[in-house]
Amino acid sequence: MRRIILSSALTALTVLFACMSARADAPHTLIYLKADHIEFYYDRFLLEADGNVHLRTSDGFTVTGDAFSMDLKLNRFLVAGHVTLHDASGTVSGAAIADFLDFQRIYFVPVTSEPDRWTFLNGDLAHPAKGRVMPGDVFYFPDITTHPDMTGTGAIVDTKNYVRFTGAVAYVGGLGVPLGSNVITFSSNQYFAQNSLSGATADITWQLAGSPNALTAVHLRYDPTYKIYGSVEQHFVGDHDYAIFSVNPATRAEKWWNAMLYEKLGSKFQIQSFTQVYTQQNYLSLPRAAQQTTWINANYALPHSYVQATSQFVNYNILGPGSLEVPKALGGSLDHPSFVQITANSFQNRIANLPLFEQIYEGYGFAHDTVGGQQYLNGFPQYPQYPPVQVPGLQSYGALCAYQPKTKHNLQYYCPTYTTIFNTVLGFNLFTPSLKLNHPDSPYQEYYFNASLTKQRQWNSLPHYIDNTNTNLTVSRQFSRSLHTYVGYEIQNIGDHYINGGYEQCQQPNGQQTTYCPDSFTAFRGVATLRTTSLGLTDAPTPTFNLSLLVRHHEDFPIPVPGLFAFPQNNILGQPLYNWWLGQPPYDATAEIRFKILPHTLADVSRTYYWYGNPYREQFWQQEFVIQLLPI
Amino acid sequence: MRRSIWSVAAGILAVVLIAAGPSIVVSGQLLAYQDGFVFFTTGDGFRVAPGIVLHDAKTGGRTAIVPGPRVWARATFDASGTVTELDLSKSPLPPEGSFDDVSRFAVAASTPAPNPDLLAYATTATPGPGQPLTNTVSYSGKPVLVTFVVQVPPNTPFTSSVYISTDQSGWNAQAIPMDRIDALHYEITRRYPSGTIFHYLYDRGSFQSKEVAQNGMDRAPRNFVVPDADVRLVSDTVYAWQDAVPGNSNQAQPQIMPTPYNPAPFPNLPPNLPPPEPPPGHKPPPA
Repeated sequence: MRRIILSSALTALTVLFACMSARADAPHTLIYLKADHIEFYYDRFLLEADGNVHLRTSDGFTVTGDAFSMDLKLNRFLVAGHVTLHDASGTVSGAAIADFLDFQRIYFVPVTSEPDRWTFLNGDLAHPAKGRVMPGDVFYFPDITTHPDMTGTGAIVDTKNYVRFTGAVAYVGGLGVPLGSNVITFSSNQYFAQNSLSGATADITWQLAGSPNALTAVHLRYDPTYKIYGSVEQHFVGDHDYAIFSVNPATRAEKWWNAMLYEKLGSKFQIQSFTQVYTQQNYLSLPRAAQQTTWINANYALPHSYVQATSQFVNYNILGPGSLEVPKALGGSLDHPSFVQITANSFQNRIANLPLFEQIYEGYGFAHDTVGGQQYLNGFPQYPQYPPVQVPGLQSYGALCAYQPKTKHNLQYYCPTYTTIFNTVLGFNLFTPSLKLNHPDSPYQEYYFNASLTKQRQWNSLPHYIDNTNTNLTVSRQFSRSLHTYVGYEIQNIGDHYINGGYEQCQQPNGQQTTYCPDSFTAFRGVATLRTTSLGLTDAPTPTFNLSLLVRHHEDFPIPVPGLFAFPQNNILGQPLYNWWLGQPPYDATAEIRFKILPHTLADVSRTYYWYGNPYREQFWQQEFVIQLLPI
Repeated sequence: MRRSIWSVAAGILAVVLIAAGPSIVVSGQLLAYQDGFVFFTTGDGFRVAPGIVLHDAKTGGRTAIVPGPRVWARATFDASGTVTELDLSKSPLPPEGSFDDVSRFAVAASTPAPNPDLLAYATTATPGPGQPLTNTVSYSGKPVLVTFVVQVPPNTPFTSSVYISTDQSGWNAQAIPMDRIDALHYEITRRYPSGTIFHYLYDRGSFQSKEVAQNGMDRAPRNFVVPDADVRLVSDTVYAWQDAVPGNSNQAQPQIMPTPYNPAPFPNLPPNLPPPEPPPGHKPPPA
């Protein structure tokens, strides 16, 4: 454990140093802007200012004027009206000045005895090219018809990176929210978007500090699980690396501390890690519970293939026995499961000249202490005749132990116990591109066919093997510019084959029924088949409105039995964590609608209806609407 | 006598009118109004008559609008090229006249000289998707319908949502949701001003599930420059998702089948597994 912490800290320091020493590849300029009124339009990245405009640039000149306009994406600005240009060579008055920063061209309309047109080339303000014809749109103001998203009294623009406002007021639904300092990042560096926070229904972000290589943000979030809470996130970003730290939620007793590290070494090798520590603590007091999970992933590119290593290390309980977690969700487990997997993958290759592509992969790895030895069914509290039952978990495989210690509920123990299980994985994908089935005159009458097959076998040293086969067939048609439909049929086959033992029989070996056994499970020995027929429909008449409908029919083995299966756990937004599970209701329909509710915000609302109810026939609707607010 | 006087007066008036010529009216947005000149956003500066008349462009009466940057104006030029009247408005005015007709009146101390940058522009074509933006191309900024179609890997879960993340929306991973159109393709149409420079990536709702290159490495964002066209189709292929690289999609987990009889390590069951409920009416066996 200490070694993991030390190596993680060392990696974090290395990445941090790389991020801090990174330099933006393109030359950038700092512009210090002050004016009576500054406005920012987020959808077009426009910065507009009026009244006593005063700007100073890191290129060495100062400009004053009546109005200012800057397109942050095009990286050019304009100052107009009673302009003075001041630099080391002196002061010149004029009507307007425009600086095309990317092209190192400054266009100036001086007014001495009469107007003129000067162009400063490559930052040389002492020797203007007089009379040079200028591009037609040099002094155009943008046509703005919307309300500003933010106002301020001052701004610092780091071109191609960020703009930091002082005296900032953000407008949400027309309501002004004073923020003081606020940073808007528009860097093309994707690593600013690396996000270590969980999903949320709504997230209002206050980016209070930033630089070309760093960003500090405070989030006010809402989700159905944790309700309203605050989070903090810090980015350090370089050209080929990043380090991101966050605590989310930060304002609840349940806290998740996150660290994401990434480093790309050359063009062929990269390594990244994600460490998450869960603590239950009031503010920053001594935690009542603490759990840690670390993922490490490394990738090496080869000609037409690549090798990837993944690993995970978990400590269910860092504090050890006697933790005071409330409620005991972690159960005081001291297990520390881990796994390492190395996989070699090929690229996607076309088979001969057929409309068929293949990809193969092979992997080796091991899982250590994956489950722990303390797995058992809870039993039926209201029926003392059904006591808790020890079941053969990952580490307890085979027959009943010869020696059975006496326990209160006659628990049964299995032997031997495996703590480390090695595996070999071999798999392939076969798929077709979209194949046109007919050739009508109208493209809206064309039908397309897709098929894919994924097959994987994993041999374990336990010994047993797991087969995974997934077959997918779809036919699709576009009925109009906005309306798309498809019909799909999917067969998912999972076989968990044990040479000996394996899945627990419902009927206990001694013949005495101690657990409830539905019929299909008397035949179930670890091989499940899930058949799903889907009908999907999407209508998107405008970019800001979308309606989609997905109707599915499941025909599964083992057959869903009322009272036997639970719904999968939801994520914090209320969506099922997994796409499939045993016990899916035979029919379900999910409707999702997206529409614009604010000038820069879409609402996404979805909910699922289960025909015939879920396996318990008590719940027909998904527990709650899944609502997300998405920026546009 | 009276007749001759009237004839002389009419002659003088005719001479004056002929000398003055017809007035020219042009509308546009002002850049500046200072030092006896009015400047339009074309960059042209025109001399202003000492007794220039300022009117409200909508009412035709007196106006409180001060001529200056961003203000719209309808300018009346006399025959000598001096602006004699400005009708002002804070909102755009309907186009009237052409600046080509008054460009000869623009005052400039220096003789116009050719601009090599613009000559280079005249011979440069609009770049296609993925091509770098050269520094000699300009765009009108008109709205362009851009349709993105992406082919996703075959192991993409059927119920997955696919998004575009771009620097245009602060790299928000869920900013542009796409719509599935068949088993392997997603599509979305958005409107962007021409000249918009796109850096974008596809993802499945988070940056942990973004696309990676075919060799498994983190890929650089795709580039796209919105051209001066009415519509544009962009077709891309995603070879793998970061969180679903083949071979790692199904981790080595013996007893992966989620059933109540094998409660762990089945991650889709809640930590405190509710016990199976006997069916209604079920009587427990005798103890």
